[in-house]
Amino acid sequence: MTDPHASEPASRATDLTRFSAAQRAEHLATMLVFVLLCLTGLPQKFYTAGWAQTLIGLFGGIDRTRWIHRFSGVVLGLATAAHFTNATRTMLSRRVGLIMVPNRRDFEDAILQLRYYLGLTDRHPQYDRYDYKQKFEYWGLVFGNVIMVVTGLILFFPVRFAEIFPGQVIPAAKVAHSNEGLMAFFVITIWHIFNAHLNPDVFPFDPSMFTGKISRERMLHEHPLELARIEGRGPEGGGGATADHARERELR
Amino acid sequence: MRNDAVLLMLALAAGPARAGIPEEREECLGCHSDPSQVFVLSSGEKLSLYVDAAGFARSVHGESLRCTDCHSDKTADHASGSLTFRTRREVTKAYYEQCKGCHFANYTKTLDGVHYAVMSRGNDKAALCVDCHGAHDISRPGQPRTRISQMCSRCHAREAAVYARSVHGRASETNPDVPVCTDCHRAHDIADPRDGSLARRTPELCGRCHGDAKLMARYGLSTAVIGTYLADFHGMSATLQRREGAASGAPLAAVCTDCHGVHDIQRPEDPRSSVMAANLQRTCARCHPGASASFPRAWLSHYEPTFERAPLVWLVQTFYRIMIPFMVGGLVLQIALHLWRVVANR
Repeated sequence: MTDPHASEPASRATDLTRFSAAQRAEHLATMLVFVLLCLTGLPQKFYTAGWAQTLIGLFGGIDRTRWIHRFSGVVLGLATAAHFTNATRTMLSRRVGLIMVPNRRDFEDAILQLRYYLGLTDRHPQYDRYDYKQKFEYWGLVFGNVIMVVTGLILFFPVRFAEIFPGQVIPAAKVAHSNEGLMAFFVITIWHIFNAHLNPDVFPFDPSMFTGKISRERMLHEHPLELARIEGRGPEGGGGATADHARERELR
Repeated sequence: MRNDAVLLMLALAAGPARAGIPEEREECLGCHSDPSQVFVLSSGEKLSLYVDAAGFARSVHGESLRCTDCHSDKTADHASGSLTFRTRREVTKAYYEQCKGCHFANYTKTLDGVHYAVMSRGNDKAALCVDCHGAHDISRPGQPRTRISQMCSRCHAREAAVYARSVHGRASETNPDVPVCTDCHRAHDIADPRDGSLARRTPELCGRCHGDAKLMARYGLSTAVIGTYLADFHGMSATLQRREGAASGAPLAAVCTDCHGVHDIQRPEDPRSSVMAANLQRTCARCHPGASASFPRAWLSHYEPTFERAPLVWLVQTFYRIMIPFMVGGLVLQIALHLWRVVANR
């Protein structure tokens, strides 16, 4: 791959901190719960298949599989709620920018990136702390979690929900839960695993989400705008507000 | 006793086979054609010794069996012997073993049946071969089919009366398509309906008829009832629980009979039906305490979610039918482009 920074000398090849301990813990918890939810949820969707029945058997039968699924779902719901609370509080108290919110630049980056993939340009987009793919996945996860938690609760307490909502909400929630879950499974197994591990830039495994560290080389390659701010110089693209950076990272 | 029987049968078999039968029967009927012939058992019960010769001749065995084929312990001089049976039931039980010589497969099945299980636990009233089939007057089973339910009703009167008022029972007099007792319960290896194994078999049991498109078309009934049930929460849970067997301990998810009833199944439009719209809330509440008036709407009544039937469900389903291929396709395409660029740049 033509690296726009390949000519720059990697003079300071020291590791930088990309994720805080709390962020790493949050990722680890989400990951474990997600795996558990897939292992206990997908066999319910495809229950006629042999592998599904084997898996359910390993969990100790459908009733226990369901309780594990519900417990994991509640954990995911609490984690999502904690994430929102934390993000809202950080935003309100410190008045930091909404660094996860997609902006005009992300759309331009996406178009430029696709043009680059298609060979229509040699210019590779310069990314900040999070590129458009990561923001897309973040919001996919956020909306997905909300849909899964709400529909999951409806399926957990159908009688209570039918007291307030029309009964048809329950089968609709089942269809949504089952399909959204499958889509999340695809997005994670295909898109996230590729970008975080199978992508030739990081192949075979990017440990930064687990160690919290990232090499300066990779920062230069993948997040040049953020690196420029950290090092107190204006990025080529311009507009790097160095002072904002520390506060933004608090928000994640 | 058995040795005598074998000797006797050998002796009889030595003669010209068919020709011997009437003669032997004649010999027996010399005594047993008198309707007033009774033997008083030690319990005081009277055991009739009368055999209706014409009735036996009309029976399925009339042409083929000799008296001693079943009454193998009866020698020519048995009238001078004594009977050790105290009750008539003991006599009947003693003959249970006699049918298996020819009907071994069905006899073996009865050993797995609830009647045999109940009998071996000491209930003398449990049905034996002759209680259902008759003894000297055995005719082809199920001719006419209504005879089957009548037969069972002699002991199971309450269930039979409920069944007779159901949609199946009412039609059974004239219609060979509807199930009689043995169609669901089987004839010889009848499962104990209390142990849950029959309930676990329910979807496929009902599906034998209700999944048969040709049969259901005659009555304008939908065969989608099975598929829609299996696609839903209850069908999935029941299917998996059935695989786990009775050991799982948890209550079994609703099967056909939990909503529609067992012997009292009615058309869903019938005001007596437990699945009639007005009764559905109460039916749901049996498993879902506190079910509100809108709760039964959570179940799509065996209909596929179409725009007309369940617009919200249809909408969500349609959204994901478009969204999932679009999303996955888009992401895979971008990955492919990415990799292609990596290769092209080399």
